[in-house]
Amino acid sequence: MKIKKLLIANRGEIAVRVIRACREQGIATVAVFSEADREALHVLMADEAYPIGAAPAVESYLAIDKLVATARRAGADAVHPGYGFLAENARFAEACAEAGLTFVGPPPAAIRALGDKTAARKIARDVQVPMVPGTLEPLRSDDEARTLARELGFPVMLKAARGGGGKGMRLVRRESELADALRAARSEAGAAFGDTAVYLERAVGEPRHVEIQVLADAHGTIVHLGERECSIQRRHQKLVEESPSPVVDAALRARMGEAACRVARAAGYVNAGTVEFLLDADRNFYFLEMNTRLQVEHPVTEMVTGIDLVREQLRIAAGEPLGYGQDDVRWRGWAIECRINAEDPFAGWIPSPGTITGWRAATGPWVRDDSGAYEGYTVPRWYDTLMAKLIVWADDRPAAVERMLRALGEYTVVGVRTTIPALQRIVAHPDFRAGRLSTAFLERILPELRPNDGRFATVATIAAVLAEHERARRGEAAAGDVEPPSRWRLAARPGWTAS
Amino acid sequence: MRYVATLGGEPTVVEVTGGADGHYRLTLGDEVWEVDARLGEHGIASLLVGGVSHVASVVDRAGTCVVQVGGETYEILVEEQTRWIIRTRGGAAGAGRGQTLTAPLPGKITHVAVRPGDAVRAGDTLVVIEAMKMENEFRATAAGTVAEVRVQPGQAVNPGDVLMVIE
Repeated sequence: MKIKKLLIANRGEIAVRVIRACREQGIATVAVFSEADREALHVLMADEAYPIGAAPAVESYLAIDKLVATARRAGADAVHPGYGFLAENARFAEACAEAGLTFVGPPPAAIRALGDKTAARKIARDVQVPMVPGTLEPLRSDDEARTLARELGFPVMLKAARGGGGKGMRLVRRESELADALRAARSEAGAAFGDTAVYLERAVGEPRHVEIQVLADAHGTIVHLGERECSIQRRHQKLVEESPSPVVDAALRARMGEAACRVARAAGYVNAGTVEFLLDADRNFYFLEMNTRLQVEHPVTEMVTGIDLVREQLRIAAGEPLGYGQDDVRWRGWAIECRINAEDPFAGWIPSPGTITGWRAATGPWVRDDSGAYEGYTVPRWYDTLMAKLIVWADDRPAAVERMLRALGEYTVVGVRTTIPALQRIVAHPDFRAGRLSTAFLERILPELRPNDGRFATVATIAAVLAEHERARRGEAAAGDVEPPSRWRLAARPGWTAS
Repeated sequence: MRYVATLGGEPTVVEVTGGADGHYRLTLGDEVWEVDARLGEHGIASLLVGGVSHVASVVDRAGTCVVQVGGETYEILVEEQTRWIIRTRGGAAGAGRGQTLTAPLPGKITHVAVRPGDAVRAGDTLVVIEAMKMENEFRATAAGTVAEVRVQPGQAVNPGDVLMVIE
């Protein structure tokens, strides 16, 4: 059953990404937006857009009734959940089905089975996929947590049973940290997933985070599209991703891919999904969890396989067979993605919402910009900080690293703090260039990250003083009046409000 | 006009003259710079400093200029010289009186880890603010005693709101 009109139950860059895929497939698009997102890029780009409520996500992007009602009112026949929000919510998938809407994602039963991370671990165990030692049930009490953590041995990882995106996750190095970590993990899990259940795993020392992309159609075909290495993380949130991994060869890829397909098959999985593994220093892999949605970092897989994952999601949801098997999947070259977030990397990655007064995305050969922002756009404080994903492709890893550095140098964002300066220092780091990655990499090099090395102190001082001088002059010229904006600031405003 | 620009705790006296057609003369300490300033697109300024072109952006963040130039970021506080003199004289008397923790971003208080009278060490968690889907922990930068706690869990805060005072 071909999809003709699709509602995107999401916002930001991923909504834009889905709109682009739909447009290339001749599918009409319906955007939804909260009061904070009226001028968001996905609203401007979609064929139709409907307001669905107030800024807090529970009143808009998490409001199942409103989303389903809007889809029906707009005459949509399908819904794409993007990632985050309701993407891994089985009730939403069911509500769509009950309303006669095709849900572009896995069946509710698979979401449910894999969404509970402790249940997912049982599935993996049943199909003999190796995993990190840990609990197979959520923790019932602080006392139980203490006992089990002692048995596993510190350090341990606390994880949200309904988790994802690094929320509700805490590394606990010693017993004295456990109580605080439990409180923080439960509170974060409750806020993010509406479920405070957490479980324990033994922490693997300096592991790599390597995940396998799978595609499963409704006719029993399951293929994997190789790995993505996502070891560069801060606070368990990924910042830089690449495909392939510098340490995965064809043999290991085949073994990990086959294990991932086994988990997908055992869970009755259909559509695009990702099986996450930890890889230790000896290249042993351990199952972490399966994400039942499109991943933020899916573009690096698209760049090396030539397969449009959103297009495949739409085809699979429409009931089409994949039309190819594992042997048809080919990998070529190297892709790297950097996440450009509205955060201050030099002040503990504090979110930096605000108005973007200047925006020039990187472009040029083999550079892809998946962004949800533009000059004049205000990054709302209600949602996550991701503004853009910068992806590059090259023949091999050294060339891809150079291309990424070139592209990061071109990317200009004014008005909000961004991760760009930190990304430049990460990608240029000798360990990154050498492919010596681990989830501890970023924390280790953090002390080396500085906002500047003083080379442009004089120019910066001149710029700052002139900005202030102009402001003071304007203020004097219009004394008694409302202070007019200086021309420095005026020019920093979106073109369509300055006149 | 004379200003004091403070960068990394170091004050520099800067005198600005001229300004016609974007031509300025700036004296920084004992250096004199001829500057041609022009605003380009995207809120970005083009500066010719001593005949060399630089592209910089200046954004005001809570009274401090955040300058991006050459892939680097500088935070510079610019004040009129008289204002700077008054502030630093007044500040000397009250210096060393501890730390006032203000909210750096809008969000919701999810946890207050200390009570008035508590002794804190550098690195101790003071308060947790949930913003943009993440819990952001704020820690003490130095040892001290909690004098005042002005927020409670569940409370919404805006940038600049005083959260607590440590002495």
